[in-house]
Amino acid sequence: MAALVLPAGLLVLLLLVAPMLLLARISLNQFSPTEMMVEATTAANYLRAIQDPYYQQVMATTLGVALGCTLLTLALGFPAAYWLARMQSRWKSLATILVLFPLLVGNVVRAAGWMALLGNEGAINAALKGLGLITTSLPLLYNTGSVVTGIVAVVLPYMILTLASVIESIPRQAEEAASNLGAKPFTVFRRVVLPLALPGVAAGSVLVFILCMNTYASAVLLGGPQFKMMAPAVYDQFVRGNNWPFGAALAFILLGVTLLLTVVGSTLLGRKYKTA
Amino acid sequence: MGNLVLEALCKRYGSSTAVERVDLEVKQGEMVALLGPSGCGKTTTLRMVAGFIPPSEGRILIGGQDVTRRPAHARDTGMVFQSYALFPHMTVGQNVAFGLEMRKVGRAERDGRVMEALRLVRLDHLADRLPRQLSGGQQQRVALARALVVNPAVFLLDEPLSNLDAKLRGEVRMEIRALQQRLGLTTLIVTHDQEEALTMADRLVVMERGRVRQVGTAEELYENPTDPFVAGFVGRCNLIEGRLEAPGGFRAASGALLHCDVEAAEARPDAALLALRPERIGLQPDAEGGGRVAAVTYLGAQTEYLVEQDGTSLLIIRPTPTLADPLRRLAVGDAVTLSWEAAAARLLPAAT
Repeated sequence: MAALVLPAGLLVLLLLVAPMLLLARISLNQFSPTEMMVEATTAANYLRAIQDPYYQQVMATTLGVALGCTLLTLALGFPAAYWLARMQSRWKSLATILVLFPLLVGNVVRAAGWMALLGNEGAINAALKGLGLITTSLPLLYNTGSVVTGIVAVVLPYMILTLASVIESIPRQAEEAASNLGAKPFTVFRRVVLPLALPGVAAGSVLVFILCMNTYASAVLLGGPQFKMMAPAVYDQFVRGNNWPFGAALAFILLGVTLLLTVVGSTLLGRKYKTA
Repeated sequence: MGNLVLEALCKRYGSSTAVERVDLEVKQGEMVALLGPSGCGKTTTLRMVAGFIPPSEGRILIGGQDVTRRPAHARDTGMVFQSYALFPHMTVGQNVAFGLEMRKVGRAERDGRVMEALRLVRLDHLADRLPRQLSGGQQQRVALARALVVNPAVFLLDEPLSNLDAKLRGEVRMEIRALQQRLGLTTLIVTHDQEEALTMADRLVVMERGRVRQVGTAEELYENPTDPFVAGFVGRCNLIEGRLEAPGGFRAASGALLHCDVEAAEARPDAALLALRPERIGLQPDAEGGGRVAAVTYLGAQTEYLVEQDGTSLLIIRPTPTLADPLRRLAVGDAVTLSWEAAAARLLPAAT
């Protein structure tokens, strides 16, 4: 049996661990505008990333967007997941496919769609102008709102499907028992459904949070040049600035913060589940 | 507490009917069983009483109050589910306390009542356990305590014993019945197990295809079934098709003439079926007899015989004869005479 894990294990080693080790090594090197990179063992790149107010701001924006998107996705996804999980008709598989459907379209294509919708000459502004409700275009694109909209649309299916699979395992009769004992619908949700769905809430939130932290296309295309998140910042260092050591350091900081918050968050939720 | 009244209760799903005009009164302190094969509408009826399914027509009254349009949480029924439906994330004590919390009962009183309810089912020592740490029988008793602790107006049991093994089932059955009688609970129980219904309930409601076939005590249903389905479902029964040939004779479709009560025949001249309980038929070895033994099945305390008479086969159940009894040596192919009291042969209308 162990031999069967070998191909996947080798692939992970080759495609994930090796580049990571390489990147870790690069992040300790020194940047040189003439030679690009000088072998060294220095923490300078990390210190600069942490101390530079610009990157502090980028990290703050990234964290804010990721947390906000995660909460928003959770709030939007839970009712949909509950509805999907409790669906009994033959339309259930169709509904599941519909939830998955957005994933068939790549992030970039989808962001382009949002641009066509939200832009100054986009569909919404054009429609409002056509109706005579506005004369100058509303600034719908290139702000936090458009980025959050784009991200939530991307990650919502992951949240819904993760939650739905957990909610499906909650016996319907437990809910009926609660209402039989006098619990109003919201109390049934708060005292029975939510506590039992917490493992799904944790899993879905972790998944979505990681996706949000690493957002690239939505941030670049829907945020515009003024809106900076970590993943595009890493890209800028590698491609535009040619500063690989600093880009690598930024990448590891992003990874570290994501990992830390993921562990902290799921531990807190896990503890709550045990005592609930 | 109060009585439970169902008035012309109906449930339709599109063009199919799950429950068709059920009228029933469960009196204060009475235990009534809804009995029938799966899909007969008994569970749908119970779920309508609990408020989980809205009726298509008809009314539900609890203690004289119309609760037909009331949501489940405002109905004051205590339900025990087939799967127990305990809250897996709460301890036994928290499970039992849930209904009291919803009724805003204060902490001190709540704790007292929870322990009292758990003592009632002899589980007060397990209040801090989680449901998954208990056996099936214990979980069932927690579910009972949880439903009883709030003193519901109506106690509802949905196949409460079907997930228990045979030995435990007998114990829990007696326990539920004893509690129900001691607390004077107005109770509706759903079951497909007739032994369960016969032993627990004051009255039984036999349902089939959404309709009530007959309501009565166990004895009434067994001795005086008025419906062919009831005759066949409650206990075992020989049901023979045919028509009456006055006086006191029933001509089976196969041609056999079977005798029945003259008065009963007068009361039901349109009889299309003769119902004969297998243990009410006497059996004698008789070389001149008109019956031929087709099968003998030894079952320990009882022996079952299948006898062919003029093209009609009849099931006969007798206490296993002693070794000295000539009946004991009865074998397939032997000739026998059958006999029964005229009153034992029930005349029934055609099956609908």
